Amino acid sequence: MHVGYAAVLLLLLTASAGCARGTPDTSASEPQIVAVQPGTPPPASEPAAPPTPATKPAAPPTPQPERAAPPAPRAGTPGTQAASKGATPVAKPPAAAAPLDLKALEEELKETKAIGFFTKITLKNQVDDLLDKFREYHQGKAKLTMTDLRRSYDLLIMKVLSLLQDEDQKLAADIASSREAIWRLLADPTSFATLEV
Amino acid sequence: MKKPIVVLAQSLVLAAFFAMPSFADDEEALKKDLTAVIALHGLPCGEVIAAKVLAENDYAASCKDGNKYRVYLNAAGRVVVEKQK
Repeated sequence: MHVGYAAVLLLLLTASAGCARGTPDTSASEPQIVAVQPGTPPPASEPAAPPTPATKPAAPPTPQPERAAPPAPRAGTPGTQAASKGATPVAKPPAAAAPLDLKALEEELKETKAIGFFTKITLKNQVDDLLDKFREYHQGKAKLTMTDLRRSYDLLIMKVLSLLQDEDQKLAADIASSREAIWRLLADPTSFATLEV
Repeated sequence: MKKPIVVLAQSLVLAAFFAMPSFADDEEALKKDLTAVIALHGLPCGEVIAAKVLAENDYAASCKDGNKYRVYLNAAGRVVVEKQK
């Protein structure tokens, strides 16, 4: 048995989702894409909205993550008091400027000496398990809510950061800064479906 | 003793001297790896203090708290941690 480091992409969720799986249910997710796309703004333009308590997707074709409309920062709201002092009410998406470079992350994870072979495989197993949950959620089969998924995602990220932060601070920082971008990728059914192709 | 033999003996001693830290490093890295894996599985251990190779990608780990585990990679590519008595 041989499991190469190439297979160990921690949040190389793309590669993990695309290669390791080949699930027969990808066709089942296609109707979702059609159903969700028209009403959903492009994921790249969305701010990192915190997950709200989720209601389970009622029917398989139209599960909708709880990120209905991107909340536009308003002057006067508590979080934007500092910004409201100036005359320019320009909404800046928080930390959304850094583009998500999964390839670079993949390379860094493959190369890092901060965690050993078994640890990488274990983390990949856990990433795969989480991806299974997301897949089920987007297909409307999951018993989990988006809040549950977010909790699992945060826990996994925390494990990864805990393992990396002492000996590979750069990678830990890269993952931390990509955290919301990866979440958006997973939470949005359209972008998640593109990972599976 | 003839000079070539002396030189050879010295070389071997030097090689052994420099090789030992490498083995020690590998051993420490393995213990650390197994410690992380056991913790990721949510099992009590504290720290792996001894690791024995059972086969390729198959180890017996002894923990500081007295627990013993077998850690191996199964055919499905999953890391399995089994508690041993």
